[in-house]
Amino acid sequence: MSDVGQQGGRQDGRREPTRFGHTELPREQEEALRRAVRLAWVTIGFLVTAVVAVYVTMGSSQAMKAAWAEDLLSFIPPISFLVALHLTRKPPSPRHPYGHHRSIGVGHLVAGTSLVIMGTFLVWDSGSGLLKAEHPPIGVMEVGGHVVWSGWLMIAALAYTAVPPVLLGRAKMPLAEKLHDRVLYADADMNKADWMTAVGGIVGIVGVGVGWWWADAAAALFISGSILRDGVGNVRTAVTALMDARATTVDGKEVHPLVGRVDALLRGLPWVAEAGSRVRDEGHVFHVEGFVVPIGAPPSLEELAQARDALVALDWKVQDAVVVPCAELPDELLPGVGDEREDAPARGHDAG
Amino acid sequence: MRGRDHDTLTLRRRTHLAAIAALVAVALTAGCQVDSLADIPADPRGTLDRVEGGFLRVGVSPNPPWTDLPEGLGDPLRPSGREVELVEDFAESLDAEVVWAAGSEEELLGDLETGALDVVVGGLTARSPWASHAALTRPYASVPGEKGEEELHVMATPMGENAFLVALERFLLAQDVGG
Repeated sequence: MSDVGQQGGRQDGRREPTRFGHTELPREQEEALRRAVRLAWVTIGFLVTAVVAVYVTMGSSQAMKAAWAEDLLSFIPPISFLVALHLTRKPPSPRHPYGHHRSIGVGHLVAGTSLVIMGTFLVWDSGSGLLKAEHPPIGVMEVGGHVVWSGWLMIAALAYTAVPPVLLGRAKMPLAEKLHDRVLYADADMNKADWMTAVGGIVGIVGVGVGWWWADAAAALFISGSILRDGVGNVRTAVTALMDARATTVDGKEVHPLVGRVDALLRGLPWVAEAGSRVRDEGHVFHVEGFVVPIGAPPSLEELAQARDALVALDWKVQDAVVVPCAELPDELLPGVGDEREDAPARGHDAG
Repeated sequence: MRGRDHDTLTLRRRTHLAAIAALVAVALTAGCQVDSLADIPADPRGTLDRVEGGFLRVGVSPNPPWTDLPEGLGDPLRPSGREVELVEDFAESLDAEVVWAAGSEEELLGDLETGALDVVVGGLTARSPWASHAALTRPYASVPGEKGEEELHVMATPMGENAFLVALERFLLAQDVGG
């Protein structure tokens, strides 16, 4: 927990703003960041207890094995969030002129890939167990001098892991939107769905308890399927972001509203006839390249600087922005621009 | 675009609802399977029910002092040893009669897997490589082995016959076998 104090409270006497690279965070985002860091540590702390609880009761249940693997994998998103956060704070340098914002994307991709690999392995493992009709043996354990059927302990461990992630996920979700942090979003999204694994596992163990040998492997298949699906979804969003796709909302579903506002702002300048822009999501912050066609005479340096300042003032996410005056909008740099941004029907090439 | 997002959202919600409904259905059906919590765990193949008041089919491979076979086997087979006594007491607690079968570990474990035997004894330990072919009981005795390391003694039962496994484990843990 010491990290929270270090990152959030260090400058409390003479407040210096928190930064992502050169980007200063507004107070709202700063507060959200502090809470997100605290929640990441709470998540890690909870996961340690969950992993231990599930491990000691695991026995030879396939569903417990899958649930355990999922708990282990759940460490990756909060850890990559904290690591990426650490890196993203570094200011741009000659070697890294664009800053270190992409560390978010890298963390996201790593998290997604590990989910895909583990999910695939577990689907194969539990699927083959089901096909081979393996009957899971679940015997007794001794707890404080009492001999108890291990299934009850497994159910208790799974029940313990069901509720806290949902609360954590609900708390993280609005922070992820405020901070425009995809790793945090992916983490929150997975946390929110985590109760289904726990309940699936419990149903599997209860099934074994009433004599259905297949219930355990079926539950394991359900859990590993959800791990795999999380992985595929995360890899897809991470790759899209790393491929410099047009900036989207943090859930990757809609064009980010800032994209339209950037265009509108540039078009609204009194000396501008036509404008278009490219906006990419670097992770937290956007890079904006705006192209403007002036009316008549070329704009003065002052006018250009004002245009840039106006862009930066739009939102804390816009810091790294350039405004380029040109005789006509460069088609090769602005493919299909203008068609789809203002809710006009999308052209075929990247409608998805 | 909006419309599609809306659809994905509803689709997701619908999947959630379907999952919950399925889980509730499974849980209810499971609930009807048993009369009381005491019936949990149950045997998929009903081993414990069959043994109670009937016959306990036990495979024994010689490993003195745990198990030993008489010269020339004899008919009916009368093995001796600590585990043999334990198994006979267990059978008695179930009001069952023991039917012994002698053989190598491999033969006996094979018969256990096909369901021709209910228990295999032969000085097996928790480190036995048979763990993936049989449900080994919790260790009921710990003795120093030849090289001074602890040997945790177990018996083997059919995979997934959990009521039977639990009955045997409870019986063994209640005995003071020690080391």
